[in-house]
Order: sequence, then structure tokens, then C-alpha cells
Amino acid sequence: MTLTTPMSPDGPPSVRIRDLTVVYRTAAGELPAVRDVSMDLAPGTVTGLVGESGSGKSTLALSLLNAVQPPGRISAGSVDIGGLGDVVQLRGDKLRQARGGQIGYVFQAAQNSLNPLKTVGKQLLDLGRSHDVKDLRALVAEARDLLARMGLDGARVLDSYQHELSGGMRQRVGIMLALVLNAHVVVLDEPTTALDMITQANILEIIREIHAERGLTTLVITHDIGVVAEVADEIAVMYGGRLVEQGPVRAVLGDPHHPYTRGLIQAIPRLTGDIDEAQALPGRPPTLTTIPDQGCVFRSRCALRMDVCDTVDPLFQSTGDRMVACHAVAPAATFTTTTSESEREMTPSRAWSGIGSGRREPAADGDGVVARETNEGDSA
Amino acid sequence: MSDVAAMTGATVTRATLRRNFWGSVWRVLLRKPSRLLGVVLMLGFAFMGSIGPMLYDRPLPRDPSVQFASPSLRHPFGTDFQGTDVFSLLVIGSRYVLLTALITAVVSVLLGTAVGLVAGFRRGALDAVLMRITDVNLTIPGLPLLLVLSTVWEFSGAWEMGLVLGLLGWGGLARAVRSQTLSLRERGFVEAARGLGLPNRHIVGRELLPPIAPYIAMNALMSLIVAVYAQVGLFFLGVMPVIGENWGVMLNRAVFDFGAMTTPARLPYMLAPLLAILLLTIAIVLVVDAMDEVFNPRLRVE
Amino acid sequence: MKGIARRLAGHLARGLVMIWVVLTFTFVIVSIMPGDPVQAEYELLLQQGHSPQQAEAQTAMLHRFRPTGSVLEQYLEYMGSLLRLDLGQSVVTRVDVSTILGEATRWTVIPVLIGTVLSFVLGVLIGVYAAIKRSGKLGDALTLSGSLLRGLPDFVVALILAAIFATLWPVLPRSGAVNILYEPGFNLDYILSLGQHAILPIATYAISSYGGWILAMKSSVVTVLGDDFILAAELRGMKRSVIFRYIARNAILPLFTIFALSIAALFSGAIFVERIFNYPGLGMLLINSIGRRDITVMTGAFLLITAAVIVANIVADMFYTVIDPRVRRAGDAA
Repeated sequence: MTLTTPMSPDGPPSVRIRDLTVVYRTAAGELPAVRDVSMDLAPGTVTGLVGESGSGKSTLALSLLNAVQPPGRISAGSVDIGGLGDVVQLRGDKLRQARGGQIGYVFQAAQNSLNPLKTVGKQLLDLGRSHDVKDLRALVAEARDLLARMGLDGARVLDSYQHELSGGMRQRVGIMLALVLNAHVVVLDEPTTALDMITQANILEIIREIHAERGLTTLVITHDIGVVAEVADEIAVMYGGRLVEQGPVRAVLGDPHHPYTRGLIQAIPRLTGDIDEAQALPGRPPTLTTIPDQGCVFRSRCALRMDVCDTVDPLFQSTGDRMVACHAVAPAATFTTTTSESEREMTPSRAWSGIGSGRREPAADGDGVVARETNEGDSA
Repeated sequence: MSDVAAMTGATVTRATLRRNFWGSVWRVLLRKPSRLLGVVLMLGFAFMGSIGPMLYDRPLPRDPSVQFASPSLRHPFGTDFQGTDVFSLLVIGSRYVLLTALITAVVSVLLGTAVGLVAGFRRGALDAVLMRITDVNLTIPGLPLLLVLSTVWEFSGAWEMGLVLGLLGWGGLARAVRSQTLSLRERGFVEAARGLGLPNRHIVGRELLPPIAPYIAMNALMSLIVAVYAQVGLFFLGVMPVIGENWGVMLNRAVFDFGAMTTPARLPYMLAPLLAILLLTIAIVLVVDAMDEVFNPRLRVE
Repeated sequence: MKGIARRLAGHLARGLVMIWVVLTFTFVIVSIMPGDPVQAEYELLLQQGHSPQQAEAQTAMLHRFRPTGSVLEQYLEYMGSLLRLDLGQSVVTRVDVSTILGEATRWTVIPVLIGTVLSFVLGVLIGVYAAIKRSGKLGDALTLSGSLLRGLPDFVVALILAAIFATLWPVLPRSGAVNILYEPGFNLDYILSLGQHAILPIATYAISSYGGWILAMKSSVVTVLGDDFILAAELRGMKRSVIFRYIARNAILPLFTIFALSIAALFSGAIFVERIFNYPGLGMLLINSIGRRDITVMTGAFLLITAAVIVANIVADMFYTVIDPRVRRAGDAA
């Protein structure tokens, strides 16, 4: 439990995303996958970004590294990272050094994020040389410590090829590679997908502990609300390229305001309850080509749909303890829009416990509190 | 009642599918006009081999006074050593070349598909044996084998030639069909069909073959090219008797008997069959390219 | 290492089986060959006044074929001598077959090797370019040219090259391996002449095989570019040169299996190329020996070509095994 790296002197950095729009070039012109998203990751917090596949959450995550893949591109907005400046404006070597150096990215375990022909150790050295690390010996020692911290035999893992590692081990190697250069902003893309229940719980625990020990600002992207409940302080819900609700995990999960968030939570089957109580959201999530270009993106699946939803895009504005974008949810006080940031509660609430009805068991015990992709729910 | 409804439903969808299929064929052809050219060339060769030879009276007229004439309107590729029009030789020779290639393609595709399907479907010891045989077929170099074989068997007739080439050329397809069959098995097709109590004949014919069929069809076209090369090559090398009417014999005469390589004036006689082979290759490659896009739409770059 | 050894042993066993198949095949061919050359030799010796025993011993020594005895005895004798690598003498020239083969092998292996390496390097480079520019016009054109060239057989390429560079614009020699005017040895004229004569054969090998490399490399690079670990390397801030090496090494790997398969085609191609350019290699030797019914040379050349293909296959596969840890270490774990 010893800290292998001293906390950065200025503490964990903050991340400010402002009016971010990412478009993809298609046969039908440039279509936005992320539109006008503004969001803050407070220093030292874990934010869980939830959404169905196609909601734009992965694109948003890649934007944090200014690494949106063609045919996509960031067409507007900024991503300010403390101590680094606006990532969107970074180019060339500076951008490359920021990736991995200040911002770590952890791939989904099922994805093969390692070169199959090289040992983990050799790839670690490639990483060190790419970032002009002078003392490669120290880098290897640091990597070994990190792996040991996550319960692995560091020397052995460094001498292994990807195919010799299990999913959970790969995930830990991914976390090690993201942190070994002392990055303090970390993005985890579906960190527990495709892992078995025990490993999932294990990885989540590691994420939580490492986050605290190293003083990180962490963004966890997932379609699994259980993961957010388990590790995050803050939750942000994405739908159709828009942020629809953001706030403290405890508050949002206990009392969701946006009808989509509510639907997501209702879709979770409870271990102790009747399976029929879990209600899948009707309809399908929009794809890039079916996102309406005006009005609320969620209206076609919304139970609270009003006339205004067809024409006017709801503002993402503060309602008390959180931000919501919905016409049906009246803002607590409209004038707070400008001062909302200062008013928002940023107190990290560490572990989730007994949110909502209190019937649920913590996810770490392996009950699989998973909001399945609703298109799967449809077919069931 | 409901069966009837289901059946008519099925025919309707099948008809729609077929219309969609031809529609997509047409769109794919139009996207790159070169593919249209390929189809036209293919049809041209088919016409040349089937009807073409009937358009000429035999023996072909000779005119010893115009040996090795230069290309002209009357003789697009000039004349040969007897003053015979090279173009008409080309047309008449195409029948043997194309017929042989067709037989080769049929034999090698039937054998390759059968071996691959059986090996992949049955697995076990039979699979091991069949794959060893396939390895032998793939490893032993074909042309030297044919040369040695030619010392005891003059397989220059179209049917014999096609059969021999087909027997030598099935290995690649067998291996590919086997691996595709195995991957289809993994996806549970076969287990599901077995679970429904369907006979093996149905599983192989209805479940396994259709998804592989496009690949087999493309392979058949490519094996046409290989067959043309092999037989023309055998005649060209002179290990087959230099008689009869085909492109290989023309090449052999031009290069080794009449010095087409030393006298530029005689070059057209040699280039004519080469040009025909080249055009045939282009036609087949373009058609395969089009087929690839029809059957594997994921390759499309939108 | 245990995995590699086991793999190698498997290959060798299979290779031996294949050699046996080939030997049996040639035995059958020679046995049923019209105008049995063995019998003819035997009878000639009898006529010259040799005793039947003498005549038989001499024929067997010459040809590895016994003119008398049961088929099984003949077969065993033949297999036995060939397994001892005793190839006998040429029926026509009475020179040791191994000497003849050794002489001819140089003229085949060196040009084929140079041509293959050239086409491999060119094809891989162009293939990478075609993969990167795959949605552009040039990438498209390169791909199409690849499929056309892969299709073109060696003899068509050789004849077209000969027509252009030896007939229409006669700048290169068309026939033979070297100008006989020059003294063989280490002198400039001789070496220059060697080089000149080798250009067209080497160019033929290179051109007729590089289309295949373009296509293979292109599809391989496209596959690797889509792999997650490339994006992962980029997101970890790896240098471009590092990422390029990752792509290159992963993309070239599958090409080694294709390489193994193409070796047989290369030897077939050599037969045409050597016949057209009158080049004294193994292919030429095979054709000439068939024309003269020189069965010992024919058998030897065929055996050598087959063995070379088998060995090359094994070497390519072992190389692949050594490079790819997934194959290498899988064997060790088992």
C-alpha cells in the first residue's frame, strides 16, 4: 500500500470541456457524434460517463486526447486540461507527448491493446523511448511496482506476450501503461466489459484505490451503471451525442431527473426483486444518421414528450444539485444557469452504498447490476 | 394454410432478394466502368470460343506470297509462315484453350470443394488424411510434374488436358473451403441444424455451401486463368506435340521455329496469342473484382 | 524451444513422406516409359558381348534401375540407391548426375533468389503505399495492377520483355548465361557479361511475382491498421517510427506463409524463363533430359526441384515460427 509516486505538486489537474462538437464525415455530409458538450471533471474525482453504444461517449473520450479517428474530427469547442492547456489546439510532438505523458488512456480489456509480437516489457521500453525517458531502468522499476501494486508478478508480466495474459491481467497492464509515465488524467474505456464478475470487482477496486493513491482525475466510460455506482463520484449521462444529465452519483442514481436516466435505471434487473420489474426502454438509440437535427434527441423514446421537444433543443442547465437537459424538468431557478458551476456540489462521495430503494446489493458482490444495451433488451 | 402462406412469403422474399442481387450487380458494375469492360470482354471470349471457329472454312486459306505479312486491315495480326491470317488462327485456337480451361476449372472446383467440405465437416482422422493429401498436392511443383508425366502420357486432347490440370490444381481451394467450413461450424450453424435432426445432405447443401459459394465461384474464375497458362505453357515448351490448333502451338512455332524473337517483322505472330492471353486475364480479373464487391459489400469505401 | 523442435520434426516427417511419393511417382513413370531406356541399354550391352550379370550390374549402376527381376525388387533397388543420394550417371553423357545438377542449380537459384528479393521489397513497399492510399485513385490503380501482374504467367512476361529489350530495342542479350567469348573467371568482361545476361531472367522473376506481394501486403496492412493495438500505441503517445515498426512487423508476418506457397510457382516459372532465355539452369536441364529421355538426369532434376520446394517450405514456416511468439510459445506451453 506504499505510494510509489509522489503526488504531483499542484495536486490532480482539472479538465474543462467547453462546447465540444465532433463530426463524422459520411455520405450524407458531416454528422455530429458529439454536439455542444460542456462538462467539468473536478480535480481528484472519478466521473462515470454512461451511455448506450452510439451515444458518442467513446468519441468524447477520444476528444480528451485530441485523438478522434478519421473520418471524424473535432469541429468546435475546447478541452482544457490543468497544466496542459487546450488539448484541441495541440499539434505534432506536443500532442504526442501529452498522450501517455499527461493523459493516460486505458482500453477495454477485450480489445487487443498490445502488440502481439512484442513482450510487455519491450513495449514499455518503446513507450519510454517515445517519451524521451532518460532512466529506462527506473521506468521498468516503476512499472514493476505498479503491477505488483495491482497484484501481479511484475517481472513475469513484463516478460510475457499479450496472448499469455488473461483479460484481467491485460487490463492491469493497460492501466500500468497509462500511468507509468505519471499521467494524472486517466480515461478508462469500458474497463470491465468482457471480464468475469470477480475480475470486474477486482479491477474496479484497483481503479478506486490507484485513483486515490496517485491523485488522479479519472473518467470512466461505460454502458454499465453498476460500474459508475461502484467507482464514480460524479455521473454524466450521454444520449445521441448530447449530455442529458450530470451530477453527483448518489443524487442522480437515487433520484434521476432526465427521463432517459430514469429509463436506464429502471432497466436494471434487481437480484432480489421480480425480473418483470426491470423495464427495458422502448425503442432504439439513434445512430449518427438518425439523430434529429433539431429538438430534443430523446423525444422519440420519451414518455414525457411535449410539443416544444420537437422544435427546441433543451438547454443543459442546472437544477439544484445537477445539470439536466429536459423541457419536462423545470429548472429549480432559471437564473442559476450562469452561476451553476460554483453552486454545484463537488464533494466526492467515495463508495456507492444503498442508493435508491436500498434493495440492491453492491455490484462488487457480483450481482451484475448492468443496464444492458437497450437494443438487446428489445429483442428479449 | 399457414404453410402455404409461409411458402408464398418465402418466394416473395426470394424473388425480392434476387432482384436486389441483380440490382446490386448492376450498381457495382456501373461504379467502375472498367468492370463493365471486363464483362464485355468475357462475353467476347465466350463467343470467340463457341461460335467463332464455325465462321471459318477449313482449311484456312494460305497465301505463300504474303508470309509474315505486317498487320493490316485484312490481317489485323498479320500472317504466319504459310501466309495464313493470324487472327483466324487465334479464333480457331481459342476453342481448345477455353474448353480445356473450362474443364480444368470444373474438375478442380468440384474436387477442391468436395475435399474441403468433407474434411471440414467430418474432421477427425479423415480430415487429417485429406489435408496431408492436399499438402502433397500443394507442395509438389505442378509444371515439373507435368513435364515428367508427358514422357509416358501424351495428354494433349482437350478433355485429357483439362482433367490432368484439374487433378493438379484443387489443393488451394480445398484448404480454403475447409477453413471456411470450420469457421461456419464454430458459429453454430451445424450444431443447430443437427439439433433439428436435419440430414447431413441438407446441412452441407443448404447450410454450409451457400455462404462459401461466392468464394468458390471466384476461385473457379481464377482457376480458368491458371489453366490457360498451364496448357499454353506446355505446348509452348514443346513437350506436347506441336500440332493442332491452339495458342500454345502458335507461340511455340513463333518463338522456336520462326525466330519471332530475332526478326522484329515476325513479332506480331508471337504477340497475337500473348495479347489474347493478356485480354483474357484482364477480363477475368475485372469480373472477379466486381464479384468480390457484390459478395463482400464491406469492402466498399463510401 | 521444445515447441520449435517438435514442429520441425513434424515438418521433416511430412517432407520425407512427400519425397517418397515423388520417388514412387518417378519410378512408375520410368517403368512404363515407352521404349524402355533401361531395357535398351541392357540389350545393347548383351549384344556387345557382356555376360547377363555384367550387363545387369552396369545398367543398374548407370541408371539406378535393374533391367531384370520383379517390380518389387526393382522398386527397392531404386529407392535404396536414391536414399543413399546415389543418383547415378547421365545416360547420354555419362557424367555424374550430381555434378550436372550442381552446375545447373547455380543458374537457377541465384537469379530466382535475386528476383524474389527484389519483387518482395518492391511489392511490400508498394503494398504499404496502396494500403495507406486505399481510397484514392493511385491506390486503386496500384491494387488493380497488382491483380493483373499476379495473374500474368512468367512466360508471358519473359516473352514481352524479350520482345522489347532484345528484339525491338536490342540492348540486352537474349540467349545464354554468358558470352562464350569471355574467359570464365574473375575478370570484368566475364562478370559484366554474366550480369547482362541475367537482367532479363531476373526482371521476369521480379515482375511476375511482385503483383502478388502488393496484394498480400496491402490487405495485410489494412488489417493491421484496423487493429486496436495500433490506436492504443497512438494514444500512448508512441513515436511514429515506433508505430510504423509495429505495423510493418505485424503486416509482413502473414506474408511468410504465402512465400512458402510461392516457391513452387517460382520453380515452375524458372522452367519457362530458362527455356526462353536459353539459360542453363535446372528447368532447362529438366526439359532437355526429357527430350533426350535421359532418365537419370530427369529423375535427379525432378527430385532436386521437389526437395528444394519442400525444404524452402519448411524454412519459411520455421522462420514464421521464430518470429511469431503466439506460435513459438504455444508449443512450449503444451
